[in-house]
Amino acid sequence: MAGFRNALPLIIFLAIGFAAPLLAVIGYSFMPERSFGLLHPPTLENYAAIFNGNSYISFGWSLLLAVLTVAFLALICYPIAYGLARVFGPWAPVITLLFTIPLFVSENVRLYGWLLFFIKNGVLLGTLKSVFGLELESWLFTRPMILLGMVYVYVPFMLFPMTLGVSMVPNETREAALDLGATRWQVFREVELPLSMPGIVIGFLLTFVLAVGAIAEAKILGGQTVIPITHDIEIAFTYAQNWPLGAALAVLLMLVVGILVLFVLRRFDLDAVLGRR
Amino acid sequence: MSQRPAILVLKNLTKSFGKFNAVDGVDLDIADGEFFTIVGPSGSGKTTMIRMLAGMEPATSGDIILRGERINDVPANRRPTCMVFQSLALFPHRTVGENIEFPLKIRGVPPAARKEKALALLRQLRLPESYYGKSVLKCSGGERQRVALARALAFDPEILFFDEPLSAIDYKLRKTLEKELKDIHRETGKTFIYITHSLEEAMVMSDRIGVMRAGKLVQVGTPNEIYSAPRDKFVSEFMGDVNVIPVSLAGGKLISASFDRSFTPPGLPDGFASGHLVIRPEYMRFLDSPDDAENSLSGRLYNEYALGSRIQYQIRAGDHVFIVEKLRQQAPALDLDQSVLIGWDAKDSVLVRD
Amino acid sequence: MLNKKLTRRNFMERSTAMAAAFAAGTGFSLGSAQAARDKELNILCWEGYNSAQVLDPFRQAHGATVKAESLTNDPTMINRLRAGETKVWDLINVNNPWARKVMLPEGLIKPIDRATFEPYFERMLPAFKWPYKWAMDESGNELIGMIQRFGPYSFVVNTDKVSRATAEDQGWNLWNDPANAGKYGILESDDWNVFDLCCIAGFDPFKVHTDDEVAKFTDAANRVFKGAKVVGDIATMNQALISGEIDFHLTGGTYSASPARADGNKNIRGITPKSGPMEGGKGGIAWIEVTSVVNNPELSPLATEFLQYVQDPKVSHTVAFAEGTFNPVTQMGDKACFDLFTAEELDAIQWDSLEEEMARSAEYDIVPDYDKLLDIMTSAKKAASAG
Repeated sequence: MAGFRNALPLIIFLAIGFAAPLLAVIGYSFMPERSFGLLHPPTLENYAAIFNGNSYISFGWSLLLAVLTVAFLALICYPIAYGLARVFGPWAPVITLLFTIPLFVSENVRLYGWLLFFIKNGVLLGTLKSVFGLELESWLFTRPMILLGMVYVYVPFMLFPMTLGVSMVPNETREAALDLGATRWQVFREVELPLSMPGIVIGFLLTFVLAVGAIAEAKILGGQTVIPITHDIEIAFTYAQNWPLGAALAVLLMLVVGILVLFVLRRFDLDAVLGRR
Repeated sequence: MSQRPAILVLKNLTKSFGKFNAVDGVDLDIADGEFFTIVGPSGSGKTTMIRMLAGMEPATSGDIILRGERINDVPANRRPTCMVFQSLALFPHRTVGENIEFPLKIRGVPPAARKEKALALLRQLRLPESYYGKSVLKCSGGERQRVALARALAFDPEILFFDEPLSAIDYKLRKTLEKELKDIHRETGKTFIYITHSLEEAMVMSDRIGVMRAGKLVQVGTPNEIYSAPRDKFVSEFMGDVNVIPVSLAGGKLISASFDRSFTPPGLPDGFASGHLVIRPEYMRFLDSPDDAENSLSGRLYNEYALGSRIQYQIRAGDHVFIVEKLRQQAPALDLDQSVLIGWDAKDSVLVRD
Repeated sequence: MLNKKLTRRNFMERSTAMAAAFAAGTGFSLGSAQAARDKELNILCWEGYNSAQVLDPFRQAHGATVKAESLTNDPTMINRLRAGETKVWDLINVNNPWARKVMLPEGLIKPIDRATFEPYFERMLPAFKWPYKWAMDESGNELIGMIQRFGPYSFVVNTDKVSRATAEDQGWNLWNDPANAGKYGILESDDWNVFDLCCIAGFDPFKVHTDDEVAKFTDAANRVFKGAKVVGDIATMNQALISGEIDFHLTGGTYSASPARADGNKNIRGITPKSGPMEGGKGGIAWIEVTSVVNNPELSPLATEFLQYVQDPKVSHTVAFAEGTFNPVTQMGDKACFDLFTAEELDAIQWDSLEEEMARSAEYDIVPDYDKLLDIMTSAKKAASAG
């Protein structure tokens, strides 16, 4: 009982901060389209509208971009994480700081910075043109640019859990594997990768969940040539003034992401990965 | 021992970290099939030494010669040696069976043959076969020791290195495992090179012991040689509780300045000037009269301790504290602060140089 | 576990509004604990009125707490009032048709005193003289708000790429020329984009549309979004125009182009087509903001004070050049106000062509089937990202 009493403030905080808005969103998703109260008879028409419409394109883009972001981040961040945990030594904190500093600048500001960097006659193309006489096609407002922006923005969210994961591998297990005749690649595959898996999986989940919800990269760098699902939701809540439709899209997004995350967590049972089965 | 060929020869082996020599010009021959233990306090360089031998640390200078071949530049994964780590370094994400099979899997041994070998090793190390599929994290400390040893044996190395694997184990289990390890040594006939800070542990298992201090091997010998003829005060004190009296030679007599008297020596080495007279506590006797031993001292009983089968007495004489140990059955009943007469015969003492 | 920060933040904001809506809907009330509101004023407005330059002198003069929230589309603001926030706001500033056609009939706003405010119309530009349609109710008896900022709002070109004459002559057909695909952007201003797509498809936006017209609209929406190089906010459009990423963009005018022009980019120019499908063959669309008093049961007495305050020539000039965007104001009909504008400022708001552009523009109005057309357009946006 005392435990419950002590936990009560936290429970109330979570109820107000998380459960209440969530319930409101779920409630709205069953209201008639373009209505503004929760007291109408519930209906499934918003969900029907979504399945009859083309929001699947937006879902598809969000999921595809998120998967690609996670894949690229995995390839980029593992070597850096390995370096931070094992190679850079006294330089590791400095490099960590360099990766952290951008987080203190708003994401939108950084993305607008990129826009000015990549825009035609901007920092990059303008310099190439004036100094080297090279006139290149602008890369701005293209799909690869969106991916580049997302990969850039989410680097810390993959890098830091991964670094933790790599540094969790006891050095003696590496040495033991080597001593038992394993090649460097075998040490990586048999020991380092599986033992750093908890950090890797957490990095994957974190960046995936964040990337599925990304909106600014497609808006700013992609010039809305791609409409991710969160943008679709935003349109429903603003210009369309169709809160129930927006709410239904949000609920579906939560379901899709939730199911995917649960699936991954089941596959990569963290306890099993850590050998606590 | 000496008729067996040397499997490993170290010549002037040195490892420097900057100006500091962690291992300082070690020369050593280890015989094929020998159980050799390097004993030393922490910081003596024994871990650095074994890591060089296993190939995890490059030597700064000198030679490591395995069966006549210099292996200084052969990486750890290409040396036919294997190490059992202090932390054991088991793979926590793998089962007992997978851990043992690891070196076989690396070598591409088919799964069925791997399993057969793993089960044989489990039997040899007195672990139930049912442990094959068990997570190593669910094993007890002693079981993990056996798994680590089984994994190393599965590698089938020419030399097995042990880096204090028993240091974190409680006393009773450690005693059991020490004996088991010696049994395994006998069964496999492999060369074991073991490091520890416990001379007692070394005594139980080893064919020969090397005592290491500040990067140098100060004495190499059989347990009996080390025990009965320590080369210096460091070696003698390293062997546990001993009685040490600083002495010097004056006018043909062994004089103790602190007791202001002479002692009968066990025989004077050539050119001896000053050093220590070392008497093991079990060679000390309680005397009724000073004539009952060649050397005697009077003192006062400060305290006594029951050490299982033995009783240890702490006797204060002058500025010195002496330790006397007697088997429980032969231990006299003494009162605290009682005056006692203790003594020893010259043949039971050792004279070591500084 | 929730999706991502932006939407989540949006959700939180909206949830607050939802909670307010819920509270209002169930008759929940905070009771009479509210103090008299004579020292506070809450304004729901387009950007500009919320700037410190405009508000600070008023705050100091009245020792009042003035809160202004700016949003960038009319329906959102009106829905806030519908959701029960009439208790919160004192003034609402939206585009012309909403006060007369929607908010007054729904009881969201209330008329203001004619005697007090009628004289101000005498000093406005000729086109806005009393009785000005959008400031009056349908009967023409009640004054329902004051007017200030206005401007033509059709599209913007970089005159180095497309001359003003060509743009005005071709008009909306710029978007019907397949050769222009990839050369233009679209401002993220979805209500205006609906109007513009109607114009591109060749019919008047401000009426109920036939199935045939809806089909044409769908076709135009798909085509225009497919061919867009970039969709974005005003800053992005101006950057893209200046840098040469695009040659022209849909939806824009003085409101969006003036910041770029004020910055010296005189080649960025709002264009009003010479002719188009609107009533009387008008080619463009213009907006006029109406600021009305909210039907707040505890209305702040400062509401009408503020309405008078912004009519002052100096304050009018400040409103015209408040941070963000620069716009003409109706008070420029008063010499005292007009003289405050420098030549540079007049050029930024395209004063040289303002009168003729306004004359060629139909006035912003409500699209009866807006929801349907917006859904089609939203769908077209997503479809454009598919291929």
